[in-house]
Amino acid sequence: MSQLAGPARAGRAGNGATPYLWLAPAAVVLLAVFGYPLVRLLLESVTVPGLMGETDHGLENFRSVLADPLLRSAVLNNLRLFLAVPVMTVVAVLLATLLHERIAGWRFYRSIVFVPYVMAIPVVGIIFSYILQRHGLLNEFLETVGLRSLAQDWLGDSQLAIWSVWLVIVWQQFGFGVVLFLARLSSLDPALLEAAKVDRAGWWRRFWHIVLPHLAPIIEFFLTLGLINMLSWVFNYVYVMTNGGPARSTYVTELVIYQQAFRDGLPNLAAAVSVLLLAFATLLLTVQSLVRRRIERMES
Amino acid sequence: MNGFGPRASSNAGHPLGQPLGHPLGRRQVLRGLGLTAGLVAVPGLLSACGSDDDGGGANASGDLLVWYWGEQEAAGMKDFFEAQVTQYNAAGTDSAGDVKAVLQESDTLYTAFRTAAEAEDGPDVQFFWGGTQALEDVWMGNVEPLSDHVSKEFLDQLDTDARRETYWDDKQWGMPFYQIGTAWAYNKKMFAQAGLDPEVPPATWDEFIAALTALKSSGVTPLGAGFKDAYLGGWLVSYLGGQNFDSIDDAIAVFRGDTDYSGTKYTEWLDRLKELIDRGFFNDDVLSIDLYQGQQMFETQEAAITNSVQPQIVGFERKMGADTVGVMRTPVYGTGALADFFPAPSQVLTITSFSPRQDRAAKFLEHLHEPAVMKAMYEACGAITPDKNFDPAWLNTEADKTMAQWKETLPNFWYQYYYPFPFERDGVTPGVQQLFQPDGTVEAAVKTMQEAIDKWRREQPAQVKAYQDWQLLS
Repeated sequence: MSQLAGPARAGRAGNGATPYLWLAPAAVVLLAVFGYPLVRLLLESVTVPGLMGETDHGLENFRSVLADPLLRSAVLNNLRLFLAVPVMTVVAVLLATLLHERIAGWRFYRSIVFVPYVMAIPVVGIIFSYILQRHGLLNEFLETVGLRSLAQDWLGDSQLAIWSVWLVIVWQQFGFGVVLFLARLSSLDPALLEAAKVDRAGWWRRFWHIVLPHLAPIIEFFLTLGLINMLSWVFNYVYVMTNGGPARSTYVTELVIYQQAFRDGLPNLAAAVSVLLLAFATLLLTVQSLVRRRIERMES
Repeated sequence: MNGFGPRASSNAGHPLGQPLGHPLGRRQVLRGLGLTAGLVAVPGLLSACGSDDDGGGANASGDLLVWYWGEQEAAGMKDFFEAQVTQYNAAGTDSAGDVKAVLQESDTLYTAFRTAAEAEDGPDVQFFWGGTQALEDVWMGNVEPLSDHVSKEFLDQLDTDARRETYWDDKQWGMPFYQIGTAWAYNKKMFAQAGLDPEVPPATWDEFIAALTALKSSGVTPLGAGFKDAYLGGWLVSYLGGQNFDSIDDAIAVFRGDTDYSGTKYTEWLDRLKELIDRGFFNDDVLSIDLYQGQQMFETQEAAITNSVQPQIVGFERKMGADTVGVMRTPVYGTGALADFFPAPSQVLTITSFSPRQDRAAKFLEHLHEPAVMKAMYEACGAITPDKNFDPAWLNTEADKTMAQWKETLPNFWYQYYYPFPFERDGVTPGVQQLFQPDGTVEAAVKTMQEAIDKWRREQPAQVKAYQDWQLLS
C-alpha cells in the first residue's frame, strides 16, 4: 500500500505542476504582450519629465490631467457616444428579427446592412466629412426636396458636430449587431414560433416572449462591446471627420491621449489619461460581469 | 532608463535548477517563469535603451539617413531633394557612406520622429517646421546643436531672422532650409470688377474693410478659407495677432509668465477678426472644409482673397497668370513696431541627438546652402533658401520679386514660430473656431486662450523654464 502511495503522491504532485510548465510559453507571451506594456504604462504615468531629459516621479501627471477641462469635455463626449449603443442595439434587434422572418429580398438586405461595417473607418469618415459639409451632399439633397430649412452645418456647428459623428457611428456599427443577432436567431427552434402562431400570438408577443429572451445573452454581449467601443474605439471617426473641432466640441479621450503622446510630446500625461481610461474600462467590465452573473442566477 | 530594466535583469539571478521531466514545485515554476520573462524582455529593453552608434563616433560610416518634408507646400521639392542626394552621392563628397533621403508625410512628421527618438534609432537629419515647433524637440533632448558642428562663417551666412527662430541657449539648433513668405493672394480681375484698383491692394484696415465690402457687393466671396482641420488658427493669429507688438520679445513675454494674455496689445486682433466674420466676408462653410479646400476656392475663382505661402502663390501666378494673381500683405490695424510686417518663417533641418554621424550630417546640411544647390532648389520648387548668398537675380516671378523686396525692408515675424504649440491647439484654434459660431464672443475666445496658457504652464513646467531662459538672437 505504502509502495503505491509514494509514486501516486509523486504523480499527483507532478500532474499538479506539469500543466504550469505547459502553460508557461503562453504565459510568457501574454506577459510580454500585455504585462510589459501595462507595467511600462504605469511607470510612464508617474514619471514627470524635466528639461533636456531630466525626470522625477510622482502623481503630478494625474493631478494635471484631472484639472484639464479638455479631458472633462472629452469624457463627456464619450458618454454622449454611449447613447448610440442602445440605439444601435434596438435598431439591430428589430432588423435582425425582420430579416429572420424571411421577408422578400432578405438575403440582399442582410448584405446591404452589413456593408457599412466592413468599410474601413477612415474611408467612412472621409466620405461622411464630404457628405456633411455645409455645401455637401446631404444639404444639397435637402434643398432639392424642398427641406432647405433642415440644412445645417453638420460638422461646423459646435452644437451639432458630436451628434453628426454619433449618427455616422450608428450607421456604420449597427450592421455588426444585425449579423450577430441573426446568427443567434438561426439557433431558435422554428417550432416555437410556429406554435406561438398557432396559438394566435401576434408579432409583438412572439418577439417579446420568444425572440427577445433568446437574444438576451447576445444583446448583453453587444451592449458591452458597444460601450467599450464608444470608450476606446472612436478615435478614427473623430480624427478623420472633425479632428476634435470645431471649438473642441468633438474631442474624445483617445484623441486627447493621441495628441498628448504624439503631437505635444507628452507621453507621460498621455499615459496618465490611458491609466484612467483603462480603470474606467475595467470598471465597466466588472459591472458587466456582475450583471451577467445575476442574469445567470436568475435563469438557473 | 525607467527602472524596469534592472528589475527585469534581476530575475536572471534565479536559474531553473531543475532538469526537465522532474516534477516542479509551484515556486520553481514561478521562478522559471520569472527568468523566462526576464530573458524575453531583456533584449527588447537593451535595444530600446541602446544607441545605434556603430563605433564611429560623430563620423560613423553607413548611410546618412535624412527625413525631410516640403513637397506638400513646395511642389517639386521631392524631385529636387532626390536629385541632390544622387549628385552628392555620385560626387563622393562623403567617403564614409551615402545619403539616403525619405520624404515624410505631414501627419506623421512629428509622431514618426518622436517614436524614433524614443528608441534612439532613426534619422541622422530631421526636418521640422520652424521656430518652437523645432525647439520643442530641442527641449526634449532630441536635437544636437548645429553650431557645435559647423563653422562660424557658415552660421554668419545664414539669414539672421531665420536663425533667430531656432536659436536658444546661445546655440543654433536648426539650419534654415527654406523660407515660406506668407501673405495673401488676391484676384486682380475680381478687384477690378468690384471697382477696386487691382494694382493697389488694401494696406490699412479701413481700406481692407472697404475692399471686402465692395467685393461682397459684387457677388463674390471676399475671403476663401477652411478651418475644419484646425490649421487656419495658426495662420490667423500670425497674420493679425502681433500687430501691437514692438518686438518679438513681446510675443514670448506671455509664455515666460511676464504678463497675461489680455489687453489691447494681445487681444485686439480678435476684435478685428470678429469684425470680418460678422460682416460675412468669409465663405459660409469655413468650419466644414479644410485649409487647402479654402485655398482652392481662390484657384477656382470662387473667392477673391485667400491666405497663402510663397511657393503656392507662385503656383497660382503661373497657372492663372500675373494679370490675375496679386500678392498683398496683411493690412495694418495695429500701432506696434511690428504692425507693418512681412512674415517669411523658415522650415529647418536639424541633426538628431542620437545620430552617430553628426559631423557628416552637418557637412550635408552645409552642402544644401551652396549657391548652385540653392539656385537648383528655387528653380525646382520655388523655395527660397534663407541665406545671404541667395542671389535675388535668380527670382523669376513677380510675386517672388515683390515678396523679396518686402523681406528686405520690413520686420520678419511669424507668431506661430514663437509660441508653444499647445497654445494654438488648446487656445487659438478652439477660441477662433468659437468666434465663427453664431454665438461666439471675443471674451470667450480670450478666456480659452488664457486657459490654454495656464494649462501649458501647469503641464509643461520644463518648457516654461525654457521660455524663461530664451534670449533672442539680435
